[in-house]
Amino acid sequence: MEKITFAGLEINKISIKALLFNKTIIFGYLLLALAVFGIYEVFVERYFSVAATAHASGLNPLAPGLKEAMKLAVFGDVGEVNRHIPWTLFIVNYMYMIYTGSGIIFLVALAELMNFHLVARAAAGFMIAGIAMVFAGLFTIATDLNMLNMLWMFITPNMNAGMWLMLPLYCIYIPFVLFEVYLILTNKREWAKRLALPILVLSLGVDLVEYYIQAKLFSMNTARHLWTEFPALMFYFIISAFVSSLGIMGINSFLVHRKKPEYDALMDLIRRAMLFFVSVLGLYEIFGYMAVDKDWAFLILFGPFRYIYFAGYIFLTLALPFLFIVKPGNPIFTVFASVCVVIGGFVGRYLFVYGGNANPMSNRFGVGYEKYDFYALSQSFNYVPPHLGEILIVAGSVGVCIVVYKLFDGLFSIGDLRDHH
Amino acid sequence: MNYAMALDYQNCINCKACEVACKEENGVQLGADKQRIWIGVVEGTIFGKPFANLYPSQCNHCLDAPCVSVCPTNASHFADGGIVKVDAHKCILCKGCMEACPYDARFVDDTMVAVDKCTFCDHRIGEEGTTACQATCPTKVRMFGDLDDENSDLVKLLKTKRFFFQKEYTNTLPKLFYILPDDEAYAKQSVSHNTIIHTWADIKPLYDEARTRRSKEWRK
Repeated sequence: MEKITFAGLEINKISIKALLFNKTIIFGYLLLALAVFGIYEVFVERYFSVAATAHASGLNPLAPGLKEAMKLAVFGDVGEVNRHIPWTLFIVNYMYMIYTGSGIIFLVALAELMNFHLVARAAAGFMIAGIAMVFAGLFTIATDLNMLNMLWMFITPNMNAGMWLMLPLYCIYIPFVLFEVYLILTNKREWAKRLALPILVLSLGVDLVEYYIQAKLFSMNTARHLWTEFPALMFYFIISAFVSSLGIMGINSFLVHRKKPEYDALMDLIRRAMLFFVSVLGLYEIFGYMAVDKDWAFLILFGPFRYIYFAGYIFLTLALPFLFIVKPGNPIFTVFASVCVVIGGFVGRYLFVYGGNANPMSNRFGVGYEKYDFYALSQSFNYVPPHLGEILIVAGSVGVCIVVYKLFDGLFSIGDLRDHH
Repeated sequence: MNYAMALDYQNCINCKACEVACKEENGVQLGADKQRIWIGVVEGTIFGKPFANLYPSQCNHCLDAPCVSVCPTNASHFADGGIVKVDAHKCILCKGCMEACPYDARFVDDTMVAVDKCTFCDHRIGEEGTTACQATCPTKVRMFGDLDDENSDLVKLLKTKRFFFQKEYTNTLPKLFYILPDDEAYAKQSVSHNTIIHTWADIKPLYDEARTRRSKEWRK
């Protein structure tokens, strides 16, 4: 393809139609369209749902809107955010995307430093996949926040808050990664290798700060303390993210590199790394439950979450991938394992957030809600399923990944394996 | 001024007059029950003998409130008297405070699209001298007052009674004082084995130190 050189960067001379309307990117647009509908759903529920107060009922007790609001309040769920589960699928997807994306970048930077040349040659594509996931995570969380008030983050900031630790970090992290990709694309290998260490540290920084924000908040609240009792939770977060990261790298390699001679070697490298991290994660799961709150362990292991835990998480993230990759063989098995861990990793994050909130009611010593209600069925644990808007936004975040990746690929051919000079 | 509340929970009859009064006073959304204040119910049996303990509860207005620390926009803040409040127009709905609160005392108010919580009825303290929930309680469970005033009814009560805090291990220095029943049998039945029982003399230095430290953040 004809190239234009700008600042040492070779840019593909591609038509707007080929860049913005190829088959893959149109699929991304479709997913984004779902997200737009999801955002509309969230906005309608958040800003335009009817709500009544005692004052309103006093002023005009016969108002039809009041009647509707009372009906919704008594027989439905009040509001978009349920008090039982303040953090929902938005946070699940945010955690998943951010950890997995930064995990990919970490692993590629590590491979660069450890002289895994094959990974280094495919680094541009992997890193863009990672950064696209970071963007997708930020997109998800942006739709969850009340954007109308975001200005106050800057007018009256509380710099000690976890969220404020995150913002400057991303302001440094994202440009650093993009600069690293620039160095790779312009064949400045030595500089790229030098920058790999700061990127490695920054990727860990992202994980640490995100951990501080999410897990530490959970642990302050005994109603949501459950996963935070896991020993060395920080490592659990990182290791489980690495498993998903390797899954994304496996799928990316299959889609982009499968017709190249280096494909088998690349997949074998991913297989070995995945086998290591799946084994570590498996050990962690075995011993982790010996240390956590018994009531909650029973809720997850033998209670209403058992199917999600065993079929969705243990089977997909650990058992099945392990069987696929335990012995070297056809790379297609590594692809199967990759698909499994990508889905299983998401289920794991779902369990973290929803399972963490689903504390047994009996544990609430004198706090919280009554065990039964006149209008609701009795329940022994907290669980509120995600609503349609959230699900569509999560699907849309995958669209963000696809669109970002394809735009970079269309302009810079990041899917190519670049040789060292 | 350092506002706090004592709860003589053995007097609670679960009539929910406090919840209704709170809704009326603060315009809490109808249908959204157990929001600003609630009655926690613990049921069980001891050797086949059933019991139900009632624990009226609400925001503890902690001296070291984690919800204030985690708020990225300073929407959650300490108002005068150490009352923990939320500026609705600054709230970005990150819901970090809801996760951080050990007492589940926060919720999203759909009429304001912001996190809301008990404010100790601070708009009526000047005129009425107390909260709506205390004013309406038929069995006088609640006593609102000023911990700084040694002559206040609240401090006088705390000096004569033993009390405990909910989830004290979270070290947030809550300001809801649960008055331990005088009857030892009932007292034992209504607290857990790990509950630490305090007297005013042993807790006062700790609370005074925290008040001095954090009161610089209290907004006038």
